[in-house]
Amino acid sequence: MSDPCILIVEQDLLVRTPLAEYLRECGYLVLEASSAGDARALLEDGSRRIDIVLAEVKSGEPSGFALASWVRTHLPNTQIVLAGTIATATEKAGDICQEGPALSKPYDHRLVLDHIQRLLAARDRNDRT
Amino acid sequence: MVPQPQLRPRAARILVVEDEALIRVLIAEELRLEGFSVIEADRADDALTYIKAGEQVDLVFSDIRTPGSLNGLQLAEAFREKYPDIPVILTSGNALPRHVGILGAFVSKPYDVTQTIALMSSILAQKSPGEPL
Repeated sequence: MSDPCILIVEQDLLVRTPLAEYLRECGYLVLEASSAGDARALLEDGSRRIDIVLAEVKSGEPSGFALASWVRTHLPNTQIVLAGTIATATEKAGDICQEGPALSKPYDHRLVLDHIQRLLAARDRNDRT
Repeated sequence: MVPQPQLRPRAARILVVEDEALIRVLIAEELRLEGFSVIEADRADDALTYIKAGEQVDLVFSDIRTPGSLNGLQLAEAFREKYPDIPVILTSGNALPRHVGILGAFVSKPYDVTQTIALMSSILAQKSPGEPL
């Protein structure tokens, strides 16, 4: 089975790059997008199975929320994790995402990894049942 | 004699500047498969911010038409002025601008990924012959 694929949606190159490199070191295939629009282009491309989308709430237009809604509608097998710095935004993200709670920024790379591992483990359990 | 741990050579870091996500991801993935470390930027401004933050790169591969306040040519000019040791390869689907030669190598779009990576490898080898990057 191929390595799980994570799509990181984050505008800030200095935030996105270290997180992406960390997750690659952990063995994941990581795609990067700087906006929800770019993320959608990668998701619609369909040439790779994307397991988890880790998106910043404020990711331009469309927002991370809109991206999350689109993913839930069109790619039910792809899980989405929203991250934000505003408490209310992360609460709302928790409502939208399949597996709350959402992540808070700034990212703690270890927590992001734990969250991803839990989501993938839960998905694998569901696939087996 | 106690065996000494061998230092793992650092992978060369290539900064790819391309606003088309699908093109950027394609070249970045191929470069990673070849063992390079890749930083992906969709704007020349972000690429310059990244370097100014003190991050290290060994080569820049940039589209000429990029969104934001800087285009690829201006980025190459900035590198030539402030970071002359970092080679820049420019790419575009349009005709080759007249003065691009002094700023760096040029690859026409659509480019062959294998040949483009070979060009990057050869430029990096010339930059530091015999040295691990």
